[in-house]
Amino acid sequence: MRILIVEDERKVSEMVSRGLKAERYAVDVADNGDTGWAMAHTYDYDLVILDLGLPGMEGGELLRRIRVRNAQIPILILTARDATSCKVESFEAGADDYITKPFAFAELVVRVKALLRRGPANQASKVRIGDLELDRLAQQVSRAGQRISLTPKEYALLDYLATHKGRVLSRTMIVEHVWDQSFEGLTNIVDVYVRHLRKKVDDPFPAKLIHTVRGVGYSLEAASEA
Amino acid sequence: MKTRSIRFRLTAWYAGLLTTVVLALAAVLFLHLQSYLEGALAETQTRRAHQIADTLVAKVRAADEANIGGEIASLYAPEKGDRFIRITRPDGGVIYRSGPPNSQAFDPAAVPPAAPEPPWEFSRKQAVAGGAALLISSVRAPSASGGTYLIEVGTSAAPVDAMFRHLLVVLGLGLPLVVALAAAGGYALVRRALRPVDEIAGKAEQITQHNLGDRLPVPGTGDELERLSTALNHMIIRLDDAFQNSKRFVADASHELRTPLTVLSGELESLAQDWELSAETRERLGSLLEEVGRLVKIVERLFALSRLDAGEAQSESVRFDLAELAASTADQMALLAEDRRIVVTCNAATPVAVEGDHARLKQVVVNLLDNAIKYTPEGGAVQIRVKSAGSRAVLEVIDTGIGIAGDQLVHIFDRFYRADKTRSRNPDGAGLGLAIVKSICHAHQGQIEVESAVGKGSCFRVLLPLADEHSLPSATKPDSAS
Repeated sequence: MRILIVEDERKVSEMVSRGLKAERYAVDVADNGDTGWAMAHTYDYDLVILDLGLPGMEGGELLRRIRVRNAQIPILILTARDATSCKVESFEAGADDYITKPFAFAELVVRVKALLRRGPANQASKVRIGDLELDRLAQQVSRAGQRISLTPKEYALLDYLATHKGRVLSRTMIVEHVWDQSFEGLTNIVDVYVRHLRKKVDDPFPAKLIHTVRGVGYSLEAASEA
Repeated sequence: MKTRSIRFRLTAWYAGLLTTVVLALAAVLFLHLQSYLEGALAETQTRRAHQIADTLVAKVRAADEANIGGEIASLYAPEKGDRFIRITRPDGGVIYRSGPPNSQAFDPAAVPPAAPEPPWEFSRKQAVAGGAALLISSVRAPSASGGTYLIEVGTSAAPVDAMFRHLLVVLGLGLPLVVALAAAGGYALVRRALRPVDEIAGKAEQITQHNLGDRLPVPGTGDELERLSTALNHMIIRLDDAFQNSKRFVADASHELRTPLTVLSGELESLAQDWELSAETRERLGSLLEEVGRLVKIVERLFALSRLDAGEAQSESVRFDLAELAASTADQMALLAEDRRIVVTCNAATPVAVEGDHARLKQVVVNLLDNAIKYTPEGGAVQIRVKSAGSRAVLEVIDTGIGIAGDQLVHIFDRFYRADKTRSRNPDGAGLGLAIVKSICHAHQGQIEVESAVGKGSCFRVLLPLADEHSLPSATKPDSAS
């Protein structure tokens, strides 16, 4: 999988490319719109990450050109502009996703993976993490054969963690997916729900599945998989 | 009528001044006319008296005294002309006195004698019992017989007095009328001249920080009012510029902070997950990340506020049930309250339709509930109520928390204000939550009010305009999630 990053802030592009390389992607970086366009139509990329404010060719123009040349390639906009009008404009011009700076790197990776997979993540009806089992059809959870009864919100939280098992999810990502944007800034709601979830899922068992990464967020994984 | 208005004061001054001037003019006119008329009359009569003195009295001898009467009667016929003539000897004896006039205006016999030793020539106004006053001119003339005779010629003052009475009546009635007319005209004129002031004041009152682009009406009259409104408009332009600058500054600053924050949080994030580092180092990196997260939150909220300031609040306007929103939000936050053993009750049974940005208004409910829960001690209670009152939807969030002191109440909606510096070590709080709530309420033509008693609790009340009709398009039932 080969990814093109068009971003004029060298530190941002370095950080993103390093992180994506760690996820075993091949990454090219262009630091202006013209180079970006030259690379985009010379090589065959699987995904383009595009900044809107670029020297040379504007990001918006580059987005249109790439879209005209290749209708299939996923394009992720990475920008500091977060006005609704700007988002709408980008989606209309053919963007597939839109992340505003500053962002959590974990979120970028989750979105990149989703775009490359081109479909909802891990939609198997049953998910297993260690001895924890989620039955998505019945919305039932059991661990080591014992049924665990969860409230709908607790289930949604566990489901979201399970979908991205092994990956650290930030509180902001969790709030946006499990609640909605109105709860942003209210990240302690995540901590409270995670605590309740732990009480039911982890506390009665010796092996812990829900992990806290300080300053980053939470992840769900079995110790043996880490 | 407002007695302190410029209109009233100008008119009053104007009417008062006019009255004084007209009164003075009338008095001068009246007195001058009176002295002129009486003077002219006296002069005529004096001339006549001299005539009598020259033609008759100068030649008189004691024996002729009786003839004088006949001569005067034939020459002057005083009775016909309503005149009075009297000739008195030096010893006081009357040698001639005209008879009662035809008009019977006065009784010649009742005219009192002149004062003793009068000057050689003088005039007087003599009141006469039982009739009109007389204007009498007297002349002393030496006679052929040696004595000095007093010749008095008079006429009734009644016609002159009647004329002055008439003049007084005309002035007495006319003057107030003239002043009243002039005052009314002046009032109308002043009002017309000041109407642009009303328009300017009315418009100026409507201008707030949200419509600084509006301008005051400029009356194209070239006068002081045009200058005033132009000057005020220039002031509004400068205010607008200053306001735009400060908004742009906040927007630019938060925009510029985004890229460095991205690099900071991204690099720290990857370091914090680098398992080769010691646990202690990762812990410290996590602590750094938390602070970066706070910075990010502040920048985002500032940016959100600057967008609200720019009037981007109602990017969508849909009709929805505020009661349902309150109930479902309270439900979603129930665990947060439960965690601190706080009971949240929701009192929002009847649908209350409002129109606006659903997500932003939800943020209002979330922020208010979060505050209420945060500042209520364990075991307390939080109540959320939605009802309609008049043309407005009312949402109240009432807690039994620590309350806010009166002097701080006015500031709690200010940006970055923290009521109590010591209790606010909450990593989420940046002192912007309530400022955002206020901005969203205002963007929806609503208001937010707060009542609070220290130690007892607070009540935040949001007032929003109701949507046009009372009924909702479809029945909605509270979300029973979580």
